[in-house]
Amino acid sequence: MGKILRKVVMIGGAITPPNVPMDWTWRQIAVEAFWNALEEAGVELGEVDLVACNYNDRAIADSSPGPQIADALGFIPKPVVPIANACAGNGIASYVAWNAIASGRCDVVVSLGFARSDNYDAMEAMNSQGNYVDFDYMLGLTHINYNTMRAAYYRRKYGVPLEAAGHWAYQCHWYARRNPLAVLYGKPMPLLDDLCADTPEAERDRQATNRGGVASAMVFVGEELAHKYTDKPVYFDVAYAFSPPYVGNFFHYPVEGMKEYDLAEFSGLMMAAKEAYHLTGIQPEQIDLVQVHDLSAYDGMMALEAIGLCEVGQAKEYILNGGMTLESRCPVNTYGGGIAFGHGSAGSDFQIGVLENYWQVLGKCGERQVKDVRVAVNTAYGTHHSLDVVGVIRKGW
Amino acid sequence: MSEQFTDPFVRWDTFSSALWYRTRAARYRLEGSRCKSCGAIFFPPKIGLICPACHQRQMEPYPCAQQGEIVAVALDDVGFPAVGYGDNLPRVQAIVRLDDGVHLMVDLLQIRDVSEAQVGKRVKMVLRKHKREDTGAWVYGYGFVIAD
Repeated sequence: MGKILRKVVMIGGAITPPNVPMDWTWRQIAVEAFWNALEEAGVELGEVDLVACNYNDRAIADSSPGPQIADALGFIPKPVVPIANACAGNGIASYVAWNAIASGRCDVVVSLGFARSDNYDAMEAMNSQGNYVDFDYMLGLTHINYNTMRAAYYRRKYGVPLEAAGHWAYQCHWYARRNPLAVLYGKPMPLLDDLCADTPEAERDRQATNRGGVASAMVFVGEELAHKYTDKPVYFDVAYAFSPPYVGNFFHYPVEGMKEYDLAEFSGLMMAAKEAYHLTGIQPEQIDLVQVHDLSAYDGMMALEAIGLCEVGQAKEYILNGGMTLESRCPVNTYGGGIAFGHGSAGSDFQIGVLENYWQVLGKCGERQVKDVRVAVNTAYGTHHSLDVVGVIRKGW
Repeated sequence: MSEQFTDPFVRWDTFSSALWYRTRAARYRLEGSRCKSCGAIFFPPKIGLICPACHQRQMEPYPCAQQGEIVAVALDDVGFPAVGYGDNLPRVQAIVRLDDGVHLMVDLLQIRDVSEAQVGKRVKMVLRKHKREDTGAWVYGYGFVIAD
């Protein structure tokens, strides 16, 4: 690793509300988040040096996304770095933004992500974006099947009861009812017993809610410039790692740090977390708050284990002992999780975790506010954990 | 096309016969690859690619074992099947560990009841007709059946 020249400070961000109008194009969604983020940060468009943008929209993927995005943002002739890496790709966008600032190349950078998934012409087009297409999707195996298989394997290997998954989902629902940005905000709370049931309906309720069209944006500056925009600097750091895209290769892949594990552990996330902790000098014991990207309750549990909040296989205990709640030493998923906030894919799956942690550090989270947050971590994944990203937010005052 | 819509539909984001042709050895007979430098075995094959274990570029074709055992089972009944597979729901899917250690995710075939597909059950590879290509030709490839 090279020398980091300066710290990166986050000064604002935004996400589109749930259920954006059906007639908004991807351009309108992206601009909504971008514009509102600049406004929250107090940054003029002309001050921005670079935009790193992840997208999940086949309508532009096969042409030339960079100029199209720059045109929509009113950003021409400045550079947009387009990134297409599925749901957690906005983690890579923020990684690009982080590097641009930490290296001194740019002073003000925006990390943007958007998804207008109903632009897809068919599930074939959407599914074929992930995984090892030639040997899974083409043989009838989708990323949804991957997810189901991993959950079954994890549950069997570590003896995870349905009750733990039910509690996970319940706590996500509880937080979402206190987050106006969540898809399920304002909806009736489900019953814990229903979420713990061994039925197909309960299983669906323990999995992600669709957020539909969504975009989010975050604004970063170099540390020495932060005082121009805020007297409460919040530091941001990010790291990511890839894992093999074919599900069978999660079993003892012959690379250090991966061959010890199989489908029931997120070895890529472990590596990303290790780098993020190295960058920031923190230890898991210092983390006050965690947000994870959870398309199912089991995804969430495995993520807690991978980042070191729990021992591998022990997240079930953490959850059943109230570890996710506001009273916990380290609450989890105060944004509502994929289960109740809504799965936003490239539009928000990484950035919403960062934004929630950022707003929590600033004390802006109302009924779901966690006390005295100084260090907060978030995770996200793409293409069924062949990409894992970890973000770290730290209070700077 | 139809009488009402006489122009041909533009098909994009669909797959060509060339893609299927290139992967035939692996699909028809489970041909993977082995690194001549360090001996690591891979499926899907990495012919011409770089070994992630030793970083050499010396892959050779490797015939994977065609029998193994089930290590995980799941039922595909969520209602979002891959295109061309919707008529076969619910499908029983499994992670299979072949006798040489390679792991595959596969369809289990000729299962009358999902309870037949227990973890630890011996399975063997069969060649099956999967679906039609976007061009109309039939796609063949591996599936697995209970061996006992």
